Amino acid sequence: MISLRSIRKRFGDGEQSPVLDGVDLEVAAGELVAVVGPSGAGKSTLLYVAGGLDADFEGEAVVDGRALRGLSDRARAAFRNRTVGFVFQSFNLLPGLPAVENVLLPGLFRSEAGTDAGARLSALRERALEALERVGLAAKASKRPAQLSGGERQRIAIARALFAQPRVLLADEPTGNLDATTGAGIIALFREMAAGGMTVLVVTHEERVSQAAGRVLHLEGGRLR
Amino acid sequence: MLLHLAVQNLQSDRKGAAVNAAAACVGVAALVFFVALGLGVNDAARRIFPREARLIEVVPASVSLGPILGGGQLDDAAVARLAALPGVTGAHRKLNLRVPIAANRQPEGMRYNWPQGFVVQIPVVGVEAEFLGGDVPAARFVDRGRDEPMPAVISSRLLEVYNKTISSSWGLRKLPTGLALVGVQLPVQVGYSIVPLKTESEVYEARLELVGVSDRIPVYQLALPLAVVQRLHREYGKEDPGYSGVSLVAAEPEDVPRVAAAVRRMGFSVDEGDRAASERIGTAIQVTTGALALVALLMCALAALAIAQSLSAGIRARAREIAILQAVGATLGDVRALVLAEAGLVGAAGGVVGVALARLAAWGADRTAARLLPDFPFRPETFFHFPAWVLLFGIAVGLGAALLGALAPARAAGRIEPARAIG
Repeated sequence: MISLRSIRKRFGDGEQSPVLDGVDLEVAAGELVAVVGPSGAGKSTLLYVAGGLDADFEGEAVVDGRALRGLSDRARAAFRNRTVGFVFQSFNLLPGLPAVENVLLPGLFRSEAGTDAGARLSALRERALEALERVGLAAKASKRPAQLSGGERQRIAIARALFAQPRVLLADEPTGNLDATTGAGIIALFREMAAGGMTVLVVTHEERVSQAAGRVLHLEGGRLR
Repeated sequence: MLLHLAVQNLQSDRKGAAVNAAAACVGVAALVFFVALGLGVNDAARRIFPREARLIEVVPASVSLGPILGGGQLDDAAVARLAALPGVTGAHRKLNLRVPIAANRQPEGMRYNWPQGFVVQIPVVGVEAEFLGGDVPAARFVDRGRDEPMPAVISSRLLEVYNKTISSSWGLRKLPTGLALVGVQLPVQVGYSIVPLKTESEVYEARLELVGVSDRIPVYQLALPLAVVQRLHREYGKEDPGYSGVSLVAAEPEDVPRVAAAVRRMGFSVDEGDRAASERIGTAIQVTTGALALVALLMCALAALAIAQSLSAGIRARAREIAILQAVGATLGDVRALVLAEAGLVGAAGGVVGVALARLAAWGADRTAARLLPDFPFRPETFFHFPAWVLLFGIAVGLGAALLGALAPARAAGRIEPARAIG
């Protein structure tokens, strides 16, 4: 499902040593893989390359059968919209929007010709409520992020990732801002998703997350071990 | 769908949106206010100097070298030559009455407080019924003989001047405007003049019957049928060497300068009169309105700059939000379109409010003018004119200013690298 070969990524003017220096990674469909490593090791960068958020890299990245290098902006956006879902440490919800509107965001960027905008919006809301139901937050649909706890915000972010029904979930320190109990709930949710056939790649420096993963890889010195 | 998100974003930052909309609103309000004022004042000026774009007033030249070298009298032969000029569709003769007519009694058929001993000298011009167009039925504007009332037409502007100035200053009853006066008869003395030694040897009683009002009649004259004037001249032994003037009707307004030039080449003069005054006032109004509109447009440009600055700051602050949108599938085009949509909504809202504000300010200005200004002739009910295009133009300017201001921020938003902004 995820195939990264000889990925190299360098920041700045090229004089700094590469943050990713020939990374090779294969993740099968339905696998839950954790990538651990110290801060600054390039874990997030690896995730952004795999998720099509960062197009400036060397090497070959193929996700769900699609080679990411050389994709046009439109094709890369469509890839992010339909194939992958992101979950971030700092939740990355839009603060001005209610939970349900945050969840349906991916639906706003899908072009479906010939559909009435009002009817489409209603359908998106319905699906967003279903996604919120899945993470147990349907009752908080109208709340804005500031009115929710950290755990609730992360579940809203997961609902947004699930809304698009992606084949791949990419999570960047998903429990980093959560207490132990809430974090455990999130980890359980990831395991459930992987069991359902979704490929889950989590980068973390938390042991409890890596313990839940089927495979743990260490990123250090720009390489996976 | 993007519009939905744009609305959501604006709702979440109502204060910022309101500030940007206010910037657009002030410029639009000023622009619409000044343009509507210019149009309104122009309308008022046209009521004072009704100008027929196709009419050319020909008068004998003040200095003439005689008919051989061109010019001279406006006789029937000259009128025929004028009527034959290319671009001329009609030539209407005019003849000033040289027999004095005065009124010393109040009109019949209406209530009026004619002052004791009050005598009004009436300047008269004879015109053809066709010259009055549809203002007066041609069958009623004919010479019915010495013993019958003489059909008369006055300028509608004369009634306005009378009602607004003469009646109030002399304590006379106001007259109804429009066609309500038609049918009123005024006893007059033909041959009588208030100017010493100008009264004719024969003075007789006659009547003028008002048969209509027309803007084609000069404000200071009363019009009788040309045949009546010619008859009176015959009765009093006045020779008619030529007409006082000829009104030429051009086929198209664009023909007027060419016809006027041809008339001058024939040795006659063109009386610019009301036309020149109307054009001078029109030009003055246009220049003033243009200057004020330019100031208002500058305000709109400043609004665009303010919006640009505000949106640029907003884009920097919202870099992470924009990156999130890209993470969930927004293209660079989507991001740019979203910024433009937000600006467009703000600009359109500012435009609508600006237009409403301009109308409110115009209403206030009219109310103030009604309270403070005296009741002068041709004072309009409103000094403003708001045709639909002005309102739409105002909204379009608000929208345009906001979109213009949003161009650079939209480009900047499209340059945000999601991996860097999120990380």
